[in-house]
Amino acid sequence: MKLDSVADTVLIQLIAGAHADALKELYDRYNRLVFSVALAILGDRSVAEEATLDVFVHVWRGARTYRPDRAKVSTWLVAITRHHAIDILRWQNSRLDGKSLSLNDMLLSNESAVPAPEALVETSLEQARVRDAVAQLPAEQRQVLTLAYFRGYTHQQIAEVLEQPLGTVKTRIRLAMQKLRQMLMDEHQVSDKSEGT
Amino acid sequence: MSNDLHVLELLPAYVLGSLDEEEARSVSEHIAGCYLCRQELDSFQGVADQLLLAVPEARPSADLKIRLLERIQSANVKQSTQQVSWNFPRRLLPVGALAGLLLILLLAFSNFLLWQRINNLEVLTGPLGMRAIALHNTDIAASASGFVIMGADGQNGVLVVDKLPPLDATREYQVWLVRDSSYTGGSVFSVDETGYRGVRLQAPESLLSYSAVWVTIEPAGGSLNPTGEQVLNGSLFNP
Repeated sequence: MKLDSVADTVLIQLIAGAHADALKELYDRYNRLVFSVALAILGDRSVAEEATLDVFVHVWRGARTYRPDRAKVSTWLVAITRHHAIDILRWQNSRLDGKSLSLNDMLLSNESAVPAPEALVETSLEQARVRDAVAQLPAEQRQVLTLAYFRGYTHQQIAEVLEQPLGTVKTRIRLAMQKLRQMLMDEHQVSDKSEGT
Repeated sequence: MSNDLHVLELLPAYVLGSLDEEEARSVSEHIAGCYLCRQELDSFQGVADQLLLAVPEARPSADLKIRLLERIQSANVKQSTQQVSWNFPRRLLPVGALAGLLLILLLAFSNFLLWQRINNLEVLTGPLGMRAIALHNTDIAASASGFVIMGADGQNGVLVVDKLPPLDATREYQVWLVRDSSYTGGSVFSVDETGYRGVRLQAPESLLSYSAVWVTIEPAGGSLNPTGEQVLNGSLFNP
């Protein structure tokens, strides 16, 4: 069976039936995405590679737990990756560790741990759209967003590490998400309109 | 319901996972029964999912795929070694299938009978060595109950739960088999509106080789290791 044109959900079904070639195909499609998320959270290539392996092994063993009605395969994969990477951070006791807090906003950085110029060219429109939206947030909102979502910090921990009142942190998170939702929704509507013309 | 009683302001932080446990629990309980907040939650969840696309792109080492395949192969070898003694001759497969069906029916029937008979007993041994093990609930699910029912050889088993709180779309229950501080992830499941669900327990080895079973709350789709709160647990050791 030729797998390169098979839908993601079919690949997952094949993997659930222990079809190793389907896993290879899924890896080819998503290894960079999974690794990028792991690296952004963990900040260490070798640990991020181990996390990437864990994620694909998890898919191999647990493909039957995937529910297509709940999320796209890519969303499922990055969600697993994020949770696992944050677990690893916690195991390493690196929460509230100043070294793991990069004040260079990771969401805006165009430099990955290993520069891959061709990757920038291949960046999908969707990724560029999300990055643009994030770039428009005030720096202090990007910072709390990063700490919450990519470091697994709670409100209270963010308040401690940034030495800001708890209420300020809560407000920044809420405003950041509301603005992002608005911007991404607006862009979606604009692109829908232009596609229709 | 007035807006004051909704949890709209907490939803952005909820999808990012930055609420403390108590806040997260109160949001979960609220959205389980509130259509408005669930709609809002879904839209913020969409934003959070997209955020993961904003990370800088990076490529793993070229040999990572080979390492993955090696790891899969070694996992398969382990599994097939364990399965050798269970390989039936092909001509006996229909008999095996029939026996399997009978066993499932027996499990279901026993489940029903045992559920009625078990009161305070934690482990009840039934006909042909089949056992029902009562699970303990935790404060998170104080009214929940559950049983593991397994065949005498530990090759087949089911978990039946009742009155587990229904979860929102971002979270599901997951079964774990525990041995020597290592966890084998099992089925990920949701419960119906009464909190009831039955799931088959599947494991690479006999269920008897594990020391305990846990049920935890995990992000939708499940986790690699237990990360969320435990709602049920029980010992699988022989009494």
